[in-house]
Amino acid sequence: MSARFAIAIAWTAAILAAAFLLLPLAVIAAASFSPTPVFDLPITGASLRWYGRIGSLDGFWPALGLSLMIACVATVVSLILGTVAAIAIAQGRMPGAEAISTALVAPLMLPGLVLGIALLNYFRALGLTATTTSLLLAHLIITLPYVARTMIAGLARFDFTLIEAARTLGCSWHQAILKVMVPALAPSYLTAALFSFLASFDNYPVSIFLTDARTKTLPIKMLQYIDEAPDPTIAALSTLILLATILLLFVSDRVVGLHRMAGTGE
Amino acid sequence: MIDGTAAHLVVSGITKRFAALTVLDRVDLAIARGELVTLLGPSGCGKTTLLRLVAGLTLPDNGHITIAGRDLTKVPPHRRNVGVVFQSYALFPHLTVAGNVAFGLNVRRRPKSEVAAAVHRALQLVHLEHLAERPIAALSGGQQQRIALARALAVEPDVLLFDEALSALDRNLREEMQIELRRILREIGATAIFVTHDQDEALTMSDRIAVMNHGRIEQCARPREIYTRPASLFTLQFVGLSSRIAGTVAASDNGRIQVETPVGRFEAAGTLAPGDRAIVATRPEYLRVGSDGGGNTATGTIRTIVYQGSRCLVDVEAASGQSLLASLSGDQAADLSTGAPIRLSWPVTETFAFPAPEARP
Repeated sequence: MSARFAIAIAWTAAILAAAFLLLPLAVIAAASFSPTPVFDLPITGASLRWYGRIGSLDGFWPALGLSLMIACVATVVSLILGTVAAIAIAQGRMPGAEAISTALVAPLMLPGLVLGIALLNYFRALGLTATTTSLLLAHLIITLPYVARTMIAGLARFDFTLIEAARTLGCSWHQAILKVMVPALAPSYLTAALFSFLASFDNYPVSIFLTDARTKTLPIKMLQYIDEAPDPTIAALSTLILLATILLLFVSDRVVGLHRMAGTGE
Repeated sequence: MIDGTAAHLVVSGITKRFAALTVLDRVDLAIARGELVTLLGPSGCGKTTLLRLVAGLTLPDNGHITIAGRDLTKVPPHRRNVGVVFQSYALFPHLTVAGNVAFGLNVRRRPKSEVAAAVHRALQLVHLEHLAERPIAALSGGQQQRIALARALAVEPDVLLFDEALSALDRNLREEMQIELRRILREIGATAIFVTHDQDEALTMSDRIAVMNHGRIEQCARPREIYTRPASLFTLQFVGLSSRIAGTVAASDNGRIQVETPVGRFEAAGTLAPGDRAIVATRPEYLRVGSDGGGNTATGTIRTIVYQGSRCLVDVEAASGQSLLASLSGDQAADLSTGAPIRLSWPVTETFAFPAPEARP
């Protein structure tokens, strides 16, 4: 009886927590369909006019392009670097492998603001003034820990005998990596890529220190729009980003299964 | 042993060191086409390293490996045409059963129809053609073992290598697979090396057994010879049960020696000189109750009787606590009881003598 009561409380708490987490997203989505520039409840109708306006926001396309480009490049480069580092760590014959793996993941623990200020000073000291390049390098530091963490975990469970088996079956070393290790680690790659892409795409606290007047990433531009004209266009844009993320997760689930990506199931 | 010209696989003078540790020390081994040789030894004896050297997964510091007359010493594994069945099976989890078996042929870019036929043949050989489209995760341990074998067979390798390939299976399945594997290898006439630490497996499966210890082959001979004519104390101890009694050579004459021990004076074949420390030994099957079992006799009291079905294993405590093991038939053991005095005898021809090791390790 008391156990059932406790389970009921746990369920209620879980549902309330989920609602608390998701409700703001629902409000944003509802606001994006508001027929009036000022969103208020109760909703009096639905309109797609704010979605039509997204494209004509000042500087929207360059910001979106820059954010996508940086997220993609940072993700691809981190996937390569992260995998190579994870192989070295998983093979375990390197002294200080533990320390290196901790260092690789360390930027995850740092507050974004601290990282942003540190990188700003560091790039200045190096004489690096090109905005796009410094943004790319900074985002690499943001995304690499996600990739390294996932790939180290994935490779720790990878049986390197598979590579040897492939080699005795006629694969050269790089063929064995491509035909056996990459497909066997596909769930890890997908998880790593997803987290890496999202971490870069919605990063604000690091990017804010490294952008200039002409070169701005989408999150920074969005905050600027809210300052300038707080109408539901931003809500519409947010809803679109949300939909794209859900679509990405859905496709990933179809391809490898989210439970495999989270490493919670076989 | 085997004539070098007829040998299909020849390992000569192979030495391998890992840092300061010498894992293989000038190993020679020649294997005829169609022969199954087992590398038997305790862990750390170098048997798996020798297998990996033949596969090309490790390179030797010295020595040569040739297969069918071709020097493969420096050839990378993917150009050797050697099949390996790994202890963990190492099946590719992202491929189906058929995908795994076809892997080697697809890498070789064989035409689709040829691959399909070869996969079908290999799966038929291991009796699992009905599982072709299953994912690997859906297979039992025994099935995975067979698929690993089918995958190695599909490319028609010159030599098949098995690294503790049966040790992950439970006992019944393992014994079944030993017979099954022997049948398959005979059927295709494969030349094979089988690495194991399980002496029963070695005795059951092999044409010849190479007993390895400390990076060297102690003896390479047929299973029966390994058991009945061990060439070294290590082989005697590692394969099968034995009674071993330490003593001193009292007389030596024409290949026969007399060894004085606390249990009595024993005669054995051997060439040790008088005064040498020696160990005389025999297998439990040769001991008989009474005095007419042969020229060597000893007395003691029965410590334990282990009932083994058709036979009984009797442990006899002789003088100064020395243990003698006798494997007796049911009717011979019928009247025995623990604590009773007993006289045992065994033939001189089945008594071995080895120089005693310098110091106990």
